[in-house]
Amino acid sequence: MPNRRDFLVLTAASLLPAAARAQSGDGRASAFVKGIGDRLVAVVNGPEPDRDKRAKLTVIIDGAVDVDGVARFCLGRFWRNASAEQQQRYTELFHKVLVTNITAKLGEYRGVRFTMGRAQQREENAVVSTVVERPNNPPTNVDWIISNPAGDPKIIDVVAEGTSLRLTQRQDYASYLSRNNNSIDALINAMRQQVGQAG
Amino acid sequence: MRAVIRRHLLVITAVLLSHLAGCAAPPPADDPEAVADFNETNDPLEPTNRAMYAFNNGLDTAILRPAAQAYRFAVPGAVREGVHNVLTNLGTPVQLGNDMLQGKPRRAGDTTMRFFINTTVGVLGFFDVAKDWGYPDHDTDFGITLALWGLPEGPFLFLPVFGPSDPRDASGLAVGAVMDPFTWVGQGLAVRALDWSRFGMNGLDQRERHLDDIESTKRTALDPYATFRSLYRQHRQGRIDDARNDNRATIPVWFPQSVRPDTVTYSPSASRSH
Repeated sequence: MPNRRDFLVLTAASLLPAAARAQSGDGRASAFVKGIGDRLVAVVNGPEPDRDKRAKLTVIIDGAVDVDGVARFCLGRFWRNASAEQQQRYTELFHKVLVTNITAKLGEYRGVRFTMGRAQQREENAVVSTVVERPNNPPTNVDWIISNPAGDPKIIDVVAEGTSLRLTQRQDYASYLSRNNNSIDALINAMRQQVGQAG
Repeated sequence: MRAVIRRHLLVITAVLLSHLAGCAAPPPADDPEAVADFNETNDPLEPTNRAMYAFNNGLDTAILRPAAQAYRFAVPGAVREGVHNVLTNLGTPVQLGNDMLQGKPRRAGDTTMRFFINTTVGVLGFFDVAKDWGYPDHDTDFGITLALWGLPEGPFLFLPVFGPSDPRDASGLAVGAVMDPFTWVGQGLAVRALDWSRFGMNGLDQRERHLDDIESTKRTALDPYATFRSLYRQHRQGRIDDARNDNRATIPVWFPQSVRPDTVTYSPSASRSH
């Protein structure tokens, strides 16, 4: 039955590029995570003082993470209620909070190393699995969620042992807001204090 | 250990009774988004839970954290790892029971092999030889079994001493103690002392392993209670998904493998959704 075979071949041929595209997207996502991971490890384990490390981390994070998108996600339903000015102040602070929180962990992450696992497609994102090992702590399975893996890849979430960083952050903020009359200004003040404390 | 069970039950009853004492006020019904948030948070006992959290926090600051810090300072890492392995090995009977109740033959096989290899070659469980021989460890308990049986998790609970939980996991905690053969072996002061030492060592071991994580969570969260609540639930869901998705075939490696699409290799964090 030549017709049927032709049909099969055609179908296979039309599916192949899609599969190849997904494959290359995963491959690129893996390479992307490996590159970012190597840079982060180099900074964390490097000899320079924390102040310099903080500056370097800021550059890496702003380049690799979709911070604005994550910030919006973390505010959840309150994003729409916020004024444009509040949204802007919040997003700026969110950048700083993210860097501050990561800088605060520099000490405990000294000596960190990671191994790459597999990458796979989940909806439009790529999920790259790694195992992070640091001294004194059990090895941790960390998944990196990468948006737009084939084009301009950005980290949109980090999932450690099943716990999503951005979801946890969103629920932290939601709870804080509900205990402070849903006041976005109160949240912004609290974030400012957090950043201020860490210097 | 029977005393421990009785304590577990007392604690759970106390927490359930305290339902009457402190309930979170639901938001006004004319704010559907706030109501949706409230339902998603599913923490109707929040005031009581927060009080328990504060209590545990005090206990932790006064006793458990300093003890864990001292343990980390005084005992070399390799020895702590060995102690952790011994404790894990003592937990294998309960683990095996749950693997079987969950209908996970490969996990049950892993657990059995781990017990025999580590108890003998691994010198009473001190060295985790089985892991290097292709029998990795996995987290499981009766709470996870109940989840696989289809029981919903229920509202959030913060238990004194035991920490974050929910009715499903709290029942799992009690049943886990009943399932433990060590609960039923022997009697008298020496046995009870050993049971309590194991309970205490487990607490110390777990606390030491999470010293850094808990510290940084407390430092970075605006509302640590809500953050721990979120982390606990996500983490449990991750363990449940791991168990649910572990459908490795039971065909031995040396037997000609038939290709079944649902029996591909198992990778813990791969199929997790959030």
